[in-house]
Amino acid sequence: MNVEEQHIKSLVRETIYAAAMFLDDQKWNDWIDQCDESFHYSVVTYSHEVRKDLTYLLMSHKEMHPYFDLLPKHNTDHSPLRRHASIYTVDVSEDGKTAEAVTSFIMTQEMIDGISAPLYSGENRLYLTGKYYDKFKIDGESVKFTERVARVYTRRFDKGTHWVF
Amino acid sequence: MPARNHKQWSAKPDLELGEWVDSRIYSDEEIFEEELDKLWKKSWIALCHESELPEPYDFRTGIIAREPVIMVRGPDNKVRAFLNVCPHRGMTIERRPSGSFAPAQPSGNPKHMTCLFHAWQFDMKGNCVDIPRQKEGYQDRLDKSSQGLRALRCEVKYGGFVWVCLDDHTEFNVETWAAGAMDCIKDSLDAEPLELIHYHKAIIDCNYKLWHDTNSEFYHDYMHYHNRITGFNDDYFQRECSAYDNGHVNVGTFTVNYEEYDVAEDRGTLSFPNLPPDNWYMVDMFPGLNFNLRGSVVRMDLMTPLSANQVMIEFRGFGLKSDSPEDRAHRIQHHNSIWGPLGRNLHEDLIGVAGQGTTMTPKSEPRRILHGRHEGAYIHDEIGMRHFYESWGKKMDRLPSDPEQKYKAGKVMGPEMPPAKGLSTFAGKGA
Ligand code: FES
Ligand SMILES: [Fe+2]
Repeated sequence: MNVEEQHIKSLVRETIYAAAMFLDDQKWNDWIDQCDESFHYSVVTYSHEVRKDLTYLLMSHKEMHPYFDLLPKHNTDHSPLRRHASIYTVDVSEDGKTAEAVTSFIMTQEMIDGISAPLYSGENRLYLTGKYYDKFKIDGESVKFTERVARVYTRRFDKGTHWVF
Repeated sequence: MPARNHKQWSAKPDLELGEWVDSRIYSDEEIFEEELDKLWKKSWIALCHESELPEPYDFRTGIIAREPVIMVRGPDNKVRAFLNVCPHRGMTIERRPSGSFAPAQPSGNPKHMTCLFHAWQFDMKGNCVDIPRQKEGYQDRLDKSSQGLRALRCEVKYGGFVWVCLDDHTEFNVETWAAGAMDCIKDSLDAEPLELIHYHKAIIDCNYKLWHDTNSEFYHDYMHYHNRITGFNDDYFQRECSAYDNGHVNVGTFTVNYEEYDVAEDRGTLSFPNLPPDNWYMVDMFPGLNFNLRGSVVRMDLMTPLSANQVMIEFRGFGLKSDSPEDRAHRIQHHNSIWGPLGRNLHEDLIGVAGQGTTMTPKSEPRRILHGRHEGAYIHDEIGMRHFYESWGKKMDRLPSDPEQKYKAGKVMGPEMPPAKGLSTFAGKGA
């Protein structure tokens, strides 16, 4: 592996971890800024219950701002979702202009609303497990997401959420 | 009136019988057990859709009133239902939620249901076809021909839903059970084959009826910014609620203005067959099943009551089997935008009932739960819940507002009155 490839790989890793921090902190605009205009985001799963691949969310770059800008008009559970991510692989193309990465993640929910706030607030629950399949466009020091497929292994969501994974 | 003391708080509300219920019907374990026997074991329940078992030997498992159920498609293409219980020593015959009996199992032959415990095998009609070392163990005392599975009443009806009833002696078939409630959507469901496009589930610490209530009343659209912005117009306030025998209810249609919501798209061109563009019907089937035809997608909620204060809700979405990949993607998008696990509305609805469940735990102080709005049977009239609880009271022989008492008729219909003009009454539209 040459030095240039090493450097790109570390840039990609930093980008993925920065995205995890932005999403944890609900800094949606900072996350969107990491994405190229061609960006597509999806949440998919394989359901053993119905033996099918299912899509739980599909969003293009232009839909992202309205999606997040409208959140304050909606009633959302207050319990924050946070992820623990481990990057498994980063592969850089030969020309160094694109890269792909696979990241395993779990999400926990810090109960605030809980079911009964006096009872459950303060505890953490496992919310979901999944893997990010990311694609990037590299331009010098700039690394932009062009695609994120969040493949989750969870089909039970109880109250659900308005916050993306 | 200022905040009330205990006597005022627990006094009978200034409403008529039938216009409120006692919260014990949502939290009392004894009532819950009785509901399983008198309601859930007597009703037709749509447990899954035929597209979940498309091939011969496919199966799907489910639960009604704690009884494990298995639905299988036979080589004759017929879907049958059985208790998922081995007649030998009561093992669950099939442990997975779905799959196929076509391949061999570790302890069984292809094309058989095999109980893994002692390898008794059954065919797709529920006949017991093999008992290992039958002769040696049972001599002539017990023969496999007497050891078939427990068959259940099963019908595929209304767009391919697989309906099961635990009561062998029910006087109803699915159509007479529905008593006309499904008529408003049946031509759309039956026009061409449907296919499942969405599935997820929730387990919520609340009584199943609270979810059914939420599906039966639209007054809570105040909670949904999406519905206020796309819906609150004069047509919306003219949607009629209708009551049917056996406790079912449906809500008539109007045209939803999806473009009013920034990130939504018009669903007109993909609207279901025999449905005017962007129209929306809702059918609530007693005691805990809901069909929601919203333009381009059908949603079906199936409730599985787990205890007085816990319910599993399975959410399914359907498109047309003939969909092109592009159309399918749009339908999934339409579905998810409001009803997916990250959807705008479903999350809000679930927060609502979870909050109710919190205030109505078993043995908590009984509360009055009101449904006394009369608006000429239009959309914010709570006639749906009143009708449900009248049927509930009759079938349970309990008075919903005082469940220790025997049933007596309450008030379902209100005075005739013109529909409300909702826009003027809510300043928060679009706020
Ligand atoms: S319990 Fe099923 S074969 Fe024995
Ligand atoms: Fe709702």
